[in-house]
Amino acid sequence: MSPRRLAEDDLTRVLALVPWILGHPGSTKAEIAQRFGITPDQVEQDLWLLLMIGVPPYSPGDYIDVDPEADTVEINLADFFTRPLRLSPAEGLALLAAGRALLAVPGSDPGGPLATALTKLAAALEGVDVAVDFGDPEFLGAVRQAAEAGHCIEIEYFSAGHDRMSTREIDPGPPFFATGQWYTDAYCHAARDSRMFRVDRIRTLRDTGRRFTPAGDFDPERGVYEPGPDDTEITLRLESSAAWVVETVPTTDVVERPDGRLEVTLSVSGTAWLERLLLQLGPAVEVISPSPARQLATQAATRVLARYRRGA
Amino acid sequence: MDRRERLLNLLAALLDTGIGLTAQEILGEPSLGYVGTGESQRKAFERDKATLRAMGVPLEQMEFEGDYRYRVDRSAYYLPELGLTTDEGAALHLAVTAISLGTGAGEGALMKLGGREGERAQPIAVLPIAPALAPVFEATRRRAMVTFGYRGTTRHVEPWGLTSTRGRWYVVGFDRDRAEMRVFRADRIDDDVTLGPDGEFSVPEDFRPEAELAEAPWQLGSDTPRPVRVAVDATHAADLIARAGASARVERKADGTAIVTLDVTNPDGLRSFVLEYLEHAEILDPPEVRAAFVDWLSAIAGGTEP
Repeated sequence: MSPRRLAEDDLTRVLALVPWILGHPGSTKAEIAQRFGITPDQVEQDLWLLLMIGVPPYSPGDYIDVDPEADTVEINLADFFTRPLRLSPAEGLALLAAGRALLAVPGSDPGGPLATALTKLAAALEGVDVAVDFGDPEFLGAVRQAAEAGHCIEIEYFSAGHDRMSTREIDPGPPFFATGQWYTDAYCHAARDSRMFRVDRIRTLRDTGRRFTPAGDFDPERGVYEPGPDDTEITLRLESSAAWVVETVPTTDVVERPDGRLEVTLSVSGTAWLERLLLQLGPAVEVISPSPARQLATQAATRVLARYRRGA
Repeated sequence: MDRRERLLNLLAALLDTGIGLTAQEILGEPSLGYVGTGESQRKAFERDKATLRAMGVPLEQMEFEGDYRYRVDRSAYYLPELGLTTDEGAALHLAVTAISLGTGAGEGALMKLGGREGERAQPIAVLPIAPALAPVFEATRRRAMVTFGYRGTTRHVEPWGLTSTRGRWYVVGFDRDRAEMRVFRADRIDDDVTLGPDGEFSVPEDFRPEAELAEAPWQLGSDTPRPVRVAVDATHAADLIARAGASARVERKADGTAIVTLDVTNPDGLRSFVLEYLEHAEILDPPEVRAAFVDWLSAIAGGTEP
């Protein structure tokens, strides 16, 4: 981080600290530190800095009055910093978007404090608001309840990668939304390992009666797709019209060729998933390697066409 | 002198002044700490102005009797009092920590609203905000036109609203060049968003950006809608019906299979959707849509006619 960036961060924090302390005289450094996510030492450093701030004509009574070494903090003569700097567009948007998003999570209280806070915020932003929709798969609530209570559940699950239904017993983790879908990171009793399940692909769900101890933290940022040991690496050559694949599918490598085409390497766990992609892309894709995969599109197209021959 | 100290003193002086301060007054004031020669002083002042503006400080520059005067209008600088209760502050803290937008801006906003109230939340959703969204959001607030690059063309848009569905953010607005409502994927808007003057358009009271989004790939085109019937196997019927949406007509058979009728404005979108189901779904009619689907697959299968 550049020194300039640090100066801005410090400034932004100090300008937020002062109005709060003015409104809560006698707070301890520890309270202030916790509230603003810094150490008590940093609070003291910020107060030393404030001691140097004043306005013209810079006589003794024109400087901010504060005792940086006292345990409880009081600030006087800081009339010019009585209110925080208004929210930047990015800050206003982030607050509104996060709030609307949490309200859009099925099960949120549409009349609770978050809703009233957002109404006040939107009013301060001249009525501008944003809308968020997360979808509401049928078993989302049931998975969340099972995850919270530690109920092992039996699900009928459609695996799109392998194009088949299966019945599994899982200990579900708390559902989370990423890349446009709801997932649960669960312990699968059949696989004896953790597996990611898409909640909208659960067809039926029942409580097995067995219990487990829910794990503490989890991190949805770590991604919903991790290449497994049985996955196959596939390299495709895409026309520029099919470049959207790179944005929607996890890739391990992308090389742009001089003619604008892309060579994309993917890690593939299920044949059906790849067949679907190849049929959708049609003439815009060519399988480079491995060579057995070159026949996949032809075989899949022939299989689907067989159904049309029957029906026609 | 500490640069932070100089910046804070400059800001305090600019908030304190009514008529504004000239550069000469600022640079000549020893307590503000602009040391050095005229040229290096000027440079330091320019840099400080840029830093304050980058932080969002509404720094005004007014021409007055042949000289520039600088000031910060308190009413433009100060965050309006939102009157949030403790519970409301805690709810916003939960929201900012539960929803990962991929920016630190939410935390920054919380600091300005008085720091973190209550506890953090478990993360629930990842919903990245594209960098272009903040200036577009600002333009929506100001009712200002935006100009941006989008898939290789320059667009001039009245941004009426922002909405997110299926994990993506969209800008919904009136495209001035095309003279119609358009939906733009925020992550495809180039970062070069520029804003026009304030108050250039108005948005109807009952406008809902989410209502402008096409619901499904087969509705993304501008063809006249025509009904297409799709047969689906029992194993995949529930999935297809769920994704077909409320506008689809569904006829369920005793054996669990179903026939779903979709209103299609984009045949390519329909083809991709039906191909999701491989041999478990089949376009029944109209004949020309079925034939186009068969032609597509025959080309892939190597020209073997069915």
